[in-house]
Amino acid sequence: MGISKIVMALDDQPMWASINRHALELQKCTECGAFRYPPAPVCPNDLNDKADWVPVTGRGEIISWVVFHKKYFDDHAPLYNSTAVRLDEGPIIVTQLRGEEPGGSWIGQRVELVYAEHAGRSQHFAHWLKSEAA
Amino acid sequence: MPDKSLSKVAAVVGVGHTDYRGDWTRTRAGEKPRDSVGYAADAFKAALADAGLKASDIDGLIVGNTTPYERMGEVLGIDAKWGGQGDAMLNVIQACMAINAGLCENVALVYGNNQRSGGTNYGGDNAAGGGAFLSYVYHAPWGFTSQGALYAMMFRRYMEESGLTSAELGEVAVAQRIHASLTPHALMQKRITVEDYLASNFVCEPLHLYDYCLINDGGVAIIISAADRAKSIRPDPVLIHGVGRHDLNRGATSLEPRLTNYYLPAQQAVAEQVFNMAGVGPQDMDCLQVYDSFSCHIPLALEGYGYCKVGEAGKFMREHGISLEKGLPVNTAGGHLSESYMQGWAHQVEAVRQVRGTCGARQVPDCRFVHYSSDVAGKAVSIIYGR
Repeated sequence: MGISKIVMALDDQPMWASINRHALELQKCTECGAFRYPPAPVCPNDLNDKADWVPVTGRGEIISWVVFHKKYFDDHAPLYNSTAVRLDEGPIIVTQLRGEEPGGSWIGQRVELVYAEHAGRSQHFAHWLKSEAA
Repeated sequence: MPDKSLSKVAAVVGVGHTDYRGDWTRTRAGEKPRDSVGYAADAFKAALADAGLKASDIDGLIVGNTTPYERMGEVLGIDAKWGGQGDAMLNVIQACMAINAGLCENVALVYGNNQRSGGTNYGGDNAAGGGAFLSYVYHAPWGFTSQGALYAMMFRRYMEESGLTSAELGEVAVAQRIHASLTPHALMQKRITVEDYLASNFVCEPLHLYDYCLINDGGVAIIISAADRAKSIRPDPVLIHGVGRHDLNRGATSLEPRLTNYYLPAQQAVAEQVFNMAGVGPQDMDCLQVYDSFSCHIPLALEGYGYCKVGEAGKFMREHGISLEKGLPVNTAGGHLSESYMQGWAHQVEAVRQVRGTCGARQVPDCRFVHYSSDVAGKAVSIIYGR
């Protein structure tokens, strides 16, 4: 057991710096305009290595979720969820839904990223946009 | 024009494995019977004896991912003309390729894994495989870890889309226990019911404990020879009629191919490749061996390879059946869930034994063709074994 760790490859560093500023930025290809996640040295569509770091809206839609009953990390006590969200910009990210949870299926529900301190670092989490309930 | 290039160029002439049950008892008592190389060596000796070959007959050596190549050759005394390392299914394909190219004649595939006694972690802050598969470690800050969780995330969405119920998924664990109960070397021989399945704990919801593979020590070896010489080695070589592979790597870490189509396009591409190469179709298969790190691989393979319609695997498993007692038998020795977790290696052994007709109480009558399938982290692979 231990504390969950961030994977911090070279290309991840600007992203985590933006998370520390509580405004997630992702690379946007200067050629085709596609956002990519995880950060990468070239665009998989055209191999262009030029990209702008662009803030995302932080809004998206849940496409799946799980609930952990087994404990794997000291900083995540079951029961807790991990939630896959398709950002409005395109990429799927994994985050964690906090606050009020939808009854029944979470799939298709709209969420917005929020930021909080966790295990001594800033992270994004998701809040359910109940007013836009599917 | 279907590619026939690797059809019937090679045949399995020997299989062997370690004493799964004996090592299970010993490792659970805290003993360390062997390390990975030791289990592989035991399995190699068993496979050589099964083939009636000597170590000096082996001129190709391909090892599993948990078994170091150079050390394995040193321990077994093999200076190979061809060597490699990979997972079980890709090693079978590589052996066919090496034989087809004339690089060697008798290839030993050997695997050992001390994952139980060595305390391998498949989740947590040092999750195995993270170096090769970024998705295994990338989402850890949100607690998302373990291959089981990746499949739980995928299968949750599949269940919502298709309507497959937990009770229908439970048919996999129940059927494979029936098979394990007929398999003397299987670890988990006590039959269970769908009610037992539903009452079992969740590990990562929606997957229950019974959806997960075992974690045990062991080793497996397979000897593959040039088809034109195989009959001189033994009277009943098992021919490799077809192989196929298709990967979905784009979007792998962000889980795109898992969550948008459950790897279906990869399995469909492999289905076309492997059935064309073998000149047979799903209707000709007498049983299936499916890589089952988690139960949910089975319904997805049934759909991907055309055993049932897309979206109807739940109904197929419940109504048609996937056991030796009813329907299309899947994982006839119990699979990773109940026989032994040898990361696809034991499935090849079971396929060979079914074609040979030596499976005793669990023998599929008049078994002519066996389809092996795996989808592991977006690498879809199939092999068709037959007489």
